[in-house]
Amino acid sequence: MRAPGSSALSGLLARLRSLWRGLFRRADVEAEMREEFRHHIALRTEDLIRSGLSPAEATRRAHLEFGHIESHSENARAALGLRLFDRLGVSWLDVKLGVRMLVKYPGLSLVSVAGMAVAIAIGAGGFGLIHALLDAPLPLYEGERVVSLQNTDITNPGSPNRRALHDFLLWREQLGSVRDLSAYTDDVRMLTIPGGGSHLVKLARMTASGFRVARVAPVLGRPLVDADEHEGAPPVLVIAYEEWQGRFGGDPAIIGRTVWLDDTVHTVVGVMPEGFRFPVDHRYWVPLRLDPAAYEVGDGPEIWMFGRLADGVSLEQAQAELTTIGRRMAADHPATHERLRPWIRPYTHAFVGVDSPARAWEYRAVQIGLSLLLIVVAVNVAALVYARTAARTGEIAVRAALGASRRRVVTQLFAEALVLSLAAAVIGLTIADVGFKWIRALATREVGELPFWLDLRLSPILVAYVLGLAILAGVIVGVVPALRATGRTVQGSLQRLSSRGSGMQLGRAWTALIVVQVAIAVAALPYALYSTGRFARSAAAVPDYPVDEFVHASLAIARDAVPAGPDTAAHEAAIAARFAASIAELLRRIEAEPEVAGVTFASRYPGSEWIGQIEVEGAGTQSYIWFNQVDVDLFTVFDVPVLAGRGFTPADAAPGVNAVVVDRAFAEEVLGGGDVIGRRIRRIERGEPGTDEVETGPWLEIVGVVPAFTPPPPFEAVAPKLYQPLALADARGTLHLGIRLRRGAAPGAFVGQLRETAHAVDPALRFVDLQPASQEERGRREGLIFLAVLIAAVTASVLLLSAAGIYAMMSFTVATRRREIGIRAALGANPRRILTGVFRRAARQLGAGVLAGLVLAEAGLRATGGSWLRGEGALQLLLVAVIMTAIGALAALGPARRGLAVQPAEVLHEE
Amino acid sequence: MPDQAELLPGTLDLLILKAISLGDVHGYGVLLRIEQISGGALTIQQGALYPALYRLEHQGLIESEWGKSENNRRAKYYRLTRAGRRRLGEEEASWNRLVEAVGAVLRARPQEL
Repeated sequence: MRAPGSSALSGLLARLRSLWRGLFRRADVEAEMREEFRHHIALRTEDLIRSGLSPAEATRRAHLEFGHIESHSENARAALGLRLFDRLGVSWLDVKLGVRMLVKYPGLSLVSVAGMAVAIAIGAGGFGLIHALLDAPLPLYEGERVVSLQNTDITNPGSPNRRALHDFLLWREQLGSVRDLSAYTDDVRMLTIPGGGSHLVKLARMTASGFRVARVAPVLGRPLVDADEHEGAPPVLVIAYEEWQGRFGGDPAIIGRTVWLDDTVHTVVGVMPEGFRFPVDHRYWVPLRLDPAAYEVGDGPEIWMFGRLADGVSLEQAQAELTTIGRRMAADHPATHERLRPWIRPYTHAFVGVDSPARAWEYRAVQIGLSLLLIVVAVNVAALVYARTAARTGEIAVRAALGASRRRVVTQLFAEALVLSLAAAVIGLTIADVGFKWIRALATREVGELPFWLDLRLSPILVAYVLGLAILAGVIVGVVPALRATGRTVQGSLQRLSSRGSGMQLGRAWTALIVVQVAIAVAALPYALYSTGRFARSAAAVPDYPVDEFVHASLAIARDAVPAGPDTAAHEAAIAARFAASIAELLRRIEAEPEVAGVTFASRYPGSEWIGQIEVEGAGTQSYIWFNQVDVDLFTVFDVPVLAGRGFTPADAAPGVNAVVVDRAFAEEVLGGGDVIGRRIRRIERGEPGTDEVETGPWLEIVGVVPAFTPPPPFEAVAPKLYQPLALADARGTLHLGIRLRRGAAPGAFVGQLRETAHAVDPALRFVDLQPASQEERGRREGLIFLAVLIAAVTASVLLLSAAGIYAMMSFTVATRRREIGIRAALGANPRRILTGVFRRAARQLGAGVLAGLVLAEAGLRATGGSWLRGEGALQLLLVAVIMTAIGALAALGPARRGLAVQPAEVLHEE
Repeated sequence: MPDQAELLPGTLDLLILKAISLGDVHGYGVLLRIEQISGGALTIQQGALYPALYRLEHQGLIESEWGKSENNRRAKYYRLTRAGRRRLGEEEASWNRLVEAVGAVLRARPQEL
């Protein structure tokens, strides 16, 4: 199956290969061209001789017919895309000079390449990730024409309404701009292969039209067909190639073979090609049977809808038609559809939460913003390069005097800058590739198989994007300073050659740039230090319970497990009752396992509590704290001791009992410490946004205090927690189980077993998450470390560039005022006092930058209601000011030593 | 000699791709092949041939390899790539549609209006 767009890519690669050869093996290309033309003329000559002409006449005629060889060569070069490069005059020699400059100024090269490499890595990472999520072509025939459809609640944007059975049937009937409108749901079933064991498998219940949308033919048998969806049709199954080869041993008689999905016999009717995972990451497909009569409008199973744009129809046209149909639906069913708006988007957008063009633009803004980071860095590097260029004005002036055009000199300097930026691009791409590998590994570990279209790696488009960034950076770093250096000052530089001055000045714009750079570094540093510190501290914090012994399983129940009826409340109660009964049975079976030491449950897994507000009785204070509803045995299973009062008892889970347990952080931070047993608090619920409605819960009495046993969230020093007892009958939504295994038991092996146990108890139970707690904890730490490292890397490169800017400014000052320093020293002035005078301007600029940065940092935090000047924030600001001043002093050290080493006799001799 | 036909703009690439599709051939051989197949009706300007060959190679539609020619000289031979075969198919289909359409117009009689 050839992915569309691959011909464009192969064409792009062919052009790049041809350009590469034309640029870096130019001599070979030219020689081959001439040889080919000579061969052509020779063959024509032979033909003319055979036709009766004399050899001399034949040669003359052949040359005349062919025309001027140089003209053919010129046209051939244009056809190879080399004319632009010829006009620019970039040659291999320029590149070699660029490499030489890289080696000659190692400090500048290191700073420039490191700074740009980090910026390129971040830009490429952001571009690659967002491109993979939003823009990567679906690897199907005309994949760009496959679209997703869904309803969105306008009062709750970002939350799609997937109970759209009736909408689907109506759209399928009326929507002419989308063909083969299809739907699918996820399901999990126990697959039993006679003689081959049983395994839980994820499958797609999909309408047969889904295969027509994919336009991929099976390698064996047939896909699902419309008849398979009819009530009473024999149950059939289509499987993935890898499953056929793996679970079925590549059985040549696979078509027609029967298997069990739970307790229903299914016949395998088709095998899809290798790598086929449509609609997302699926390997098994069964027909989706929809029964609209069983559901009211606005109710039904949760379905994902997709289709293909009809020929000649644009996305906008399809959206216009869908909007009209949606309005009619809202008018006919205002109770359920008044707030719903249907939209149609590129297929992959539905899976990354892009439910509107505005949301897509948010992602684009991030892409653009990350790209702009390189431009900011490149401008900084340009300032450094400009200072270096000042030292070469003599060389430039001589070249100009010998006939080099301004364009030629600028081209050479551009080539030198391009070497810098391409070196940074290679390093940046390498860093981005490592980042992608890490993200792929993390994502696969967390969610299993990735969507079939998601290919997060270095792609030709990403490489082309980075090359474009590198060329842009080369233009900023090379061309802009070069134009300035080769302006009116060139003639003056030639005259001043003998006096060893450059005549170039670091104008106000450049020095202001350094001040701004220092200010930004100082403004960003407190946040960076604070964030890095928080992330690092949070990553270093370990849970205070034996994580390695626990498995975290979060479960919900399929809503269609209980048939819907006219009474929604009764239906909800029936679902809750079934969920409670199934979980109770599951807990009983888990506890009976020999390797299980204990099992408990909560509405959130410990460490992931939700935040809310409470009021303290008698104090009138309101505080934000973290809540959890937990099994009465949770503290026992997690080995959490009771520090004061008591833990929960089964009686606490009874209705009307308002006992709660708090942790030590709650007792100290919220209640001020001391004896908190018997104190009362109540929850506060805010009403709809924009209203002042407040609802208060009943008073809850604290009966016990436990220690904090999970790390606080990254930006909280402490996280006061309150625990309420939870009865299974009251469990709603997703329930989180904590299963403690005996020492020596393998959590990884238990996970597979648990899936089968849960399925055997109730096939309607759905795992939202299932993994060893240690794996989850590792993921949490790695994520925080990644963020800390990222912020530290960006901060370090900003500081490095600031330091380099100061170094360059001071070096330039020493170089241009060397004669003055020498003469003043010869006249008896103290060299140290001379240097003080020389550096006074630079020190003023450094001071101005530091002060501006501190003001900016404080203003930024005040805008969010905080202040660095409170508590330890003032110390952090002071630390930042000291760090920046120290960096500036260090950066000035080298030039200062060179200044002190100026010998008056040498300078006078040069005069 | 048969009547010479003028080469329509945009058809040179199609003719070159077709000539190369019949077998590996060097630049001079492309000229001869087109002349031979067209019975002498089409003659390619020598000035246009090599820019077109280099352009097609730059676009990845043909690829080249140095070998020995029939007169034992070193010669550069061209062959179609997979992309070139696809492009040839597309261009042929497009040309045939154009020919059919133009032919239909030219065959039109007043009574058919």
